[in-house]
Amino acid sequence: MSTNDSRQVRLLWGSVAVVAAIVVATLIDKGSIGLQLILSGLTVGSIYALVAMGFSVIYSTTRVINFAQGGFSMLGGMLMYTFSVQAHLPPWLGLILAVAIVTAFGAGFERAAINPLKDKSVITIIIITIGLSIFMTAVAKWIWGTDPVKIAAFTGEKPLRFLGASLVPQSLWVFGFTLLAVVLVFAFFNRTLLGKGMRAAADNPDAASLVGVSSSTSSLVAWTLAAGLGAAAGVVIAPINFAQYSAGTTLGLKGFSAAVLGGLGSAPGAVVGGLVLGVLETITASYLPSGYKDAVAFLILILVLLVRPQGLLGKPESVKV
Amino acid sequence: MEGQLTRQSETNWRTYRTLIIVAVFVFLVPVWARFIPGDVLHMDIVNIMVLAGVYACAVIGLNLLVGYGGQISLGHAAFFGVGAYTTAILCTRLHWFPSWLGIIAGAALAGVVGWLVGKPVLRLKGNYLAMATLGLGEIAFILFQQVKGLTGGTVGILDIPPLSVFGLKFDTDFKLFFVVWALVMVLMLLSINLVYSRVGRALRALHSSEVAADAMGVNTSRYKVQVFVLSAVFAGLGGALFAHFQKYINPESFTLALSILFITMVVVGGMGNIWGGLVGVVILTFLPSVIQALPQWIPGLPSGLSNFSNYELVLYGLLLIGFMIFLPKGVAYGLARAGGFTEMRARHLRDRIKARKIESH
Amino acid sequence: MGSRSLPWKLPVLLLCTIVAVSLSATGCGKKTVNPSASVYKIGAVLSLSGPAAPLGQPEQNSLLMLEEQLNAGEGVNGHKVQFIIEDDQSNPANAAAAITKLINQEGVSAMIGSSSTGATLAMVPVAEAAKVTLVCCAAGTAITKPVKKYIFRTPPTDSMAIDKVLAYLKTNLKIKQIAILHDANAYGTGGATELAAKAPTAGIQVVANESYGSTDTDMTAQLTKIQQTPAQALVVWGTNPGPASIAKNMQQLAMKIPFIGSNGIANKTFITLAGTAANGVSFPGGRMLIPASIPTGTEWRNAVDKFTADYKAKYGKDADTFAAHGWDAGTILTTAMKTAGTDKTMIQSTVQATKGLVGIDGIYNYSATNHDGLTVSDLMMIQIQNGAWVQIK
Repeated sequence: MSTNDSRQVRLLWGSVAVVAAIVVATLIDKGSIGLQLILSGLTVGSIYALVAMGFSVIYSTTRVINFAQGGFSMLGGMLMYTFSVQAHLPPWLGLILAVAIVTAFGAGFERAAINPLKDKSVITIIIITIGLSIFMTAVAKWIWGTDPVKIAAFTGEKPLRFLGASLVPQSLWVFGFTLLAVVLVFAFFNRTLLGKGMRAAADNPDAASLVGVSSSTSSLVAWTLAAGLGAAAGVVIAPINFAQYSAGTTLGLKGFSAAVLGGLGSAPGAVVGGLVLGVLETITASYLPSGYKDAVAFLILILVLLVRPQGLLGKPESVKV
Repeated sequence: MEGQLTRQSETNWRTYRTLIIVAVFVFLVPVWARFIPGDVLHMDIVNIMVLAGVYACAVIGLNLLVGYGGQISLGHAAFFGVGAYTTAILCTRLHWFPSWLGIIAGAALAGVVGWLVGKPVLRLKGNYLAMATLGLGEIAFILFQQVKGLTGGTVGILDIPPLSVFGLKFDTDFKLFFVVWALVMVLMLLSINLVYSRVGRALRALHSSEVAADAMGVNTSRYKVQVFVLSAVFAGLGGALFAHFQKYINPESFTLALSILFITMVVVGGMGNIWGGLVGVVILTFLPSVIQALPQWIPGLPSGLSNFSNYELVLYGLLLIGFMIFLPKGVAYGLARAGGFTEMRARHLRDRIKARKIESH
Repeated sequence: MGSRSLPWKLPVLLLCTIVAVSLSATGCGKKTVNPSASVYKIGAVLSLSGPAAPLGQPEQNSLLMLEEQLNAGEGVNGHKVQFIIEDDQSNPANAAAAITKLINQEGVSAMIGSSSTGATLAMVPVAEAAKVTLVCCAAGTAITKPVKKYIFRTPPTDSMAIDKVLAYLKTNLKIKQIAILHDANAYGTGGATELAAKAPTAGIQVVANESYGSTDTDMTAQLTKIQQTPAQALVVWGTNPGPASIAKNMQQLAMKIPFIGSNGIANKTFITLAGTAANGVSFPGGRMLIPASIPTGTEWRNAVDKFTADYKAKYGKDADTFAAHGWDAGTILTTAMKTAGTDKTMIQSTVQATKGLVGIDGIYNYSATNHDGLTVSDLMMIQIQNGAWVQIK
């Protein structure tokens, strides 16, 4: 093992140790309140994790950072409001419709704006996804106005209590969905031919197309998957967060930091990154003025990029010379 | 232009000549803006141009960084903000502090910050650099909000005095217009000189292939940091001018949205083209006002649309996407091609006339 | 090689200059628009998008309704009135640009705006320099402290709301120790600072002062901190959706201490978002929220009844205090213009001399030293019971 590899391994275990130490210290210092903080942190963290997974899916296959990923979740939540609250449809139907519409939109955008420009510079693609984000926010404001909207929790609001800490039932739905999503995404990318081909297409497009997976197909599938995943996440999150036309930006930024922390391109990484970020943020808010809590996400982002850009669970990227 | 060999000095001369033409055109703006009645134009051109001018300072620097240095920054609003807060704090806390000195201080401090963060961060490339600069910009925003004793927190700093240089007060938009755009022209001059100098050539080598440039003995990291610091200084200058223009600042003026606006101006205007920054600034600063004025210029628009605040942002997002799809090299490139094309045709015409003259002898 | 041929760009530039000069020579128009004698123009810069949109949208609705009603009747002294409304997107820079444009290009006689404090503060220097009366709909203290000649406001100030809350805590609840949880934005921070400064005079000790981000959705960290203090009540200073999330978090954590909100939650949205957690929450609000609190038969009560009925008929929604702020701003200016016409100096002096003008938020009295119009008694404490507003006597 080269010295750089062993340094990286030490960094990885070192950061795990630091996070564990912080969590344990909080539990000791604050007792049952510490447990509450951890639980709240995990709830917030799984929301980040869901958005982070969307980033990962697109990045791992196309090396594109989709600044509009948060917007998919926002649209999912708003559409759910329209279907289940305004149109009084049963929630399961509302979920399916919301996800279907956003997925179709994501796929359509990929074909119209991303695929034709895949050879252009990094920064051109970044601007396009930023344009998409602005467009989605503006359309949401046009259709639904500016007020936050309420969507009923799936199984009610009565808090669940144990060991002095509490959790709302919707949090369990979020945890459950996160687990389901990461299992499905991981299985897709590591066990199916299409998924494996898509990952290959990012590193070696020619070899991948020999196996029948062109980078064009890869990009389309990735965007479709990310849009659908984002929309579903938005539906599950909405009862906790209150869907609002402006929700896309905040979700996007935090989810993005979580994705980098966990490793862009790794679905389990996204989950780990999200959960760690959520917990660290919540703990910070209880010790420092909470305005600094947002700084945690960005400090971690920069630290990770400088020291270990592939994040906790990602693989180092080779740069073409 | 294809197939045309021109001497380097001829290209330089042409660029300086364009700069003079642009400067003349710009300074005539307030003159002819006076003569178009307000209810035809529906926008205050001089006011918008001052804002465009202060943004231009930042965007010209960013254009050098992105287009020539090949780097990305999604956090440049932070430098803009450092410049603004520096002069605002100095001029409101120390009532004797002259505003022109505040502007210099703002630009200098922005440069220092740029150097401090640039050195570690510029080791990153591409997407990673974009992400890191984004994070830095957000941290700066949080600091502007949280360090209340210094920055006034979320309430901000009020009653910033107008710009005054040795007794001359620039307190109206009209007067400020000339100062700001004179500075913009100076910055453009500096940029042109930089691009044509040895440093500029090193930057272009770096842009096309950092590894090759390294192999050739170009000290890539030093040049990268230098151009980053320069762009930070320009942005700080713009921010300080902004503070004396608006006379009130709060952290909301320096968010990620502004960083994104800057980078969008560079890309829409045209990276790698010396005029890209200026073109992008003017287009994107006027775009919202133009969209807003549309219902009044085109009377037939349906009522759902004429409440512009609904559709303005929708249109803006679509236009951004559209620009990237149809003009990915930027508007300046398109203009240069059109200009070059026309000039080439004119030249051909002249050559043919000359040839015919020779023949008829 | 002969001399270089004249570049083609120069003739184009000359052409542009000639066109511009000839346009001016034909007297195409003057720089500023002379407001036509038959239409009175009042500019309005409101936050129709961005975080302050829930404030700006109802204000716009009211102004449009006022315009419609006035123009259907006798107008302002026989003149039609037009509100030219611009969106500042909750951004101070846009607000400053918009007011500049409205004054210079559209030639308005007076101004309304903006919905939030930050945007208003950016507009103040422009209005003062142009000597145009600006009636704002924002509650931040800094706008009229110190009093500026041309700047007035309609809503009760944050100071008044704070005084009301402290009086309620001291007299009704007889509480000695409170915790504050405020939005980190200008509104929340300003309110919290003033609350903390004034509490000791009311004999109340502030044992905790926490903040949350405007877009945060989980405040359990701050609330658990507060649970550990001897606070007997929690005062929340912010606008939706933050306080709604806090109410839900408190329900989740089974926190029993009373939740007292600010005038920021004086709308039905809070009740919709917080659901059952909203019950028991109290806040200071205008009397127009519960019309029955105003004595029947008074001019004020009649005005409120008519306004709420008209608003509901036209927009299908209940009018809230923000709608009232907008309506009152428009009423104050149009009433002044009945005697002052479009004379900007006279508009300022007429507004400043306003006494006993019946609005929806209350009855307005201005003077040279008071540009706030309303007083503490125009506010009352309201509690949410079973999803509805009940006046606390």
